Amino acid sequence: MRDAYIVGAGQSPFGAFPEESYRSLFRTAYERAVESVPDGIDPDAIDEAFVGTLGVGGRQIGLSGPAVTEFVGLDGIPCTRVENACAASGFAVRSAVQAVRSGMADVALAGGFEVMTDMSADAVRYWLGVSGETEWERMAGTTFAGVYAQMASAYLNEYDATPEDLARVAVKNHANGARNPDAHLDFECSLDDARDAPEVASPLGLYDCCPVSDGAAVVLVAGEEVVESHAPLDEAIRVAGIGAASDRVGLPDRDSYTSIPASARAADRAYERAGVGPDDLDLAELHDCFTVAELIAYEDLGFCERGEGADLLASGDTTLDGDLPVNPSGGLKAKGHPIGATGTGQIIEVVKQLRGEADDRQVPDANRALTHNVGGSGGAAVVHVLERGAGGEGG
Amino acid sequence: MNGTAAPRIASVGAYAPRLRIEAGEYREAWGEAPRGIDRTAVPDADEDAFTMAHEAAARALSAGGYDGTGVEFLAFGTTTPPMAEEELTARLRSTLDLPEGVATRTHTGSTRSGVAALAAGLDAGGRGLVVASDCPEGAPDGDLERAAGAGAAAFVLDDDGATVVDRATYTEPYPGTRFRRRGETDVEGLGITPYDRTAFRETLAGAFDRLDGGEAPTDVDAAAVQAPDGDLPYRVADALSVDPEAIDAAETVRDLGDTGAASAPLGLARALAADADRILVAAFGSGAGSSALLIERSGGNEVPADLALEGDVSPPFSDYLRRRGGITSGPPAGGGAAVSVPTWRRTLPQRHRLVAGKCPECGALAFPPEGACRDCAELVEYEAVRPADPGRVQAVTTIERGGEPPEFVPQQSRGGPYAVAVVAFDGPDGGTASVPMQVPLAGVDSLSVGDAVETTIRRIYEDEGVIRYGRKAVPANVRR
Repeated sequence: MRDAYIVGAGQSPFGAFPEESYRSLFRTAYERAVESVPDGIDPDAIDEAFVGTLGVGGRQIGLSGPAVTEFVGLDGIPCTRVENACAASGFAVRSAVQAVRSGMADVALAGGFEVMTDMSADAVRYWLGVSGETEWERMAGTTFAGVYAQMASAYLNEYDATPEDLARVAVKNHANGARNPDAHLDFECSLDDARDAPEVASPLGLYDCCPVSDGAAVVLVAGEEVVESHAPLDEAIRVAGIGAASDRVGLPDRDSYTSIPASARAADRAYERAGVGPDDLDLAELHDCFTVAELIAYEDLGFCERGEGADLLASGDTTLDGDLPVNPSGGLKAKGHPIGATGTGQIIEVVKQLRGEADDRQVPDANRALTHNVGGSGGAAVVHVLERGAGGEGG
Repeated sequence: MNGTAAPRIASVGAYAPRLRIEAGEYREAWGEAPRGIDRTAVPDADEDAFTMAHEAAARALSAGGYDGTGVEFLAFGTTTPPMAEEELTARLRSTLDLPEGVATRTHTGSTRSGVAALAAGLDAGGRGLVVASDCPEGAPDGDLERAAGAGAAAFVLDDDGATVVDRATYTEPYPGTRFRRRGETDVEGLGITPYDRTAFRETLAGAFDRLDGGEAPTDVDAAAVQAPDGDLPYRVADALSVDPEAIDAAETVRDLGDTGAASAPLGLARALAADADRILVAAFGSGAGSSALLIERSGGNEVPADLALEGDVSPPFSDYLRRRGGITSGPPAGGGAAVSVPTWRRTLPQRHRLVAGKCPECGALAFPPEGACRDCAELVEYEAVRPADPGRVQAVTTIERGGEPPEFVPQQSRGGPYAVAVVAFDGPDGGTASVPMQVPLAGVDSLSVGDAVETTIRRIYEDEGVIRYGRKAVPANVRR
């Protein structure tokens, strides 16, 4: 099976853009992705597209993929919408890589979009809850924040961590987001700001929650022959390994409330296929929709032992100048979380970092990175390992 | 009436919401307080006559050691059925796990309907369950609302227990004392005090005088007299040949307010629980009609009782106004997730009784009992099992104002923040089932992982006009 490379990556800014539509945001991301390809690329070379969106607002529930690819002039190519809640476009990237590796496509587009700020707070609440388990979890009155808060309650009960440890995740990721011009919440926050914020769902406060954002993201995936014809392979960004997994949609049905089992499974598969382990990573973009999710992800992805997530954070290892910077983009917490765009957006940050184009938030000597994208509260997860240069046998 | 073949009152249950609004709050807000009432019971945002009926009935059954089997008759009396038209007894049968073939009656339209339900149970014979539950409402600035309370009483009828030795009824046309127009929620009165008192007195005396073949009984220990307020029952003491002390012995109006169709039944429940030997029940319905019962305990046998009538949460007046509704909005317009009524109905054994499934392959419990086993992943047909209270909190959070799903906006704007927990219940022979459940927070100081909870029936939410009832969890340390 041939290797797949990320040759182009671009996103719209994430934020609140009342003057934009889902199509205009997607156009911005698409144009930036095309422009980012070394030596450029002819759009006619794109064979297929996979587009992730949840469909928030009901603006285009059916055929939401073609609705954006046709809009940007990708006339007639097959386009499939990928839906896995907040992991929609992480899975779209996976589909594009599969298409390229299999030979079905030489160049495939993966991307996603969401517009979440053009409706009332009441309407947003309808849509935020649609990825929870509806029949039992939602209809007990549980919200999306509520499910993560339940996990946080179990986590804080089982381990020594405190709400202050959760707040530290927000402080770190806001510090990174403040250096990212595309971030939604591009400001720093103090530990006091985070700790003293109004409660949303105990133990989670306002600063423990990511924002709802508008945005779009696009990457272009190409086979090694295509890449070679443009530039040396050892400067390209190779998809070294992908792992994905599913789990029960509702929290009560899962094996653990202090872990996201799908994340751990997806990571194991990605590491195995890339032939690397957590110690081999230079940075990671993790799915921190709520602060507790980042601590749990440290453990699920093997960055530390169970129950030691807060210690790892406190050690400074995951800050921008640490041994393994996590969420240099600001993460979902500060960069923003336009649901369908988030997974591809993580890949874009990693591409920038591996290319050395991350400016103020550049991680030095970044050669290998991981992205971790979770759907809902853990019903689906996908992990990508990307690295610079041609590698051995990926999988 | 010949009462020899009629069943007896074998056990008693009663329930009133734990929230109380103090009379002083009314006085401060309106300059007037209800007559003879110290405080009134206020239903929580997810309580209504149906949920209170379930609470009282479940307590009556368990007090008498009944599990619902063998119950042949179910009667429900209320002036405030949560739905004006729909057989609520069908759902009550389901939440209480009574046999499918149980005969049901609903009595409504009169504050006498609770006692009418009891009379129907006596007439039906066999093992019966009678529930009177009510939460009347009036115009917010009127006497009727100031007096309005809430509560429910339930009686299991069976071979042994207190005997209804005689019954009588009486009617006399007296329009306009207290009435509710078609389609309205508030009761009204014209406030013609001498006329109202005459109607009350004459009608009640009419039934009373017909007891014992016209030899109206004397020497009762307790008199459960209809109590629209705390004053009227005492005004008819002489007409019923009872001492004020006998009325005291069976009054609940002082702490609960006017409980409408549950008023006289609650008095009877209280008198039976206090081991009164000879009890007069005198129920009144405006319009007007009355029902009188004379009840005796034979051989000094106690009637098992479980009464949860104490109030332990006194919210400020503003909280009472919010809970009362009318100043809060309905659910916002939106879209997104929904559970259709047919889909909801498929899960009623789970919503009503927490019926779980045991995997025939590995023995693990599944809730709801469908889909592949959570443990062994086999696609199996589950054996129905019923996990028992108490459950244990495995994960919990409080949904603060503004964070609730839209379906829960009306409840939260009335009742405030609520908790949601994952609760583990142990199966009858091993295994645990984990269930997402809401936890009402009235009276709850703290709720943590590991806490024990018990379940009750509450309104979950309402959609397209259909009320969805289901189980919620109450911390064991605050359950009354």
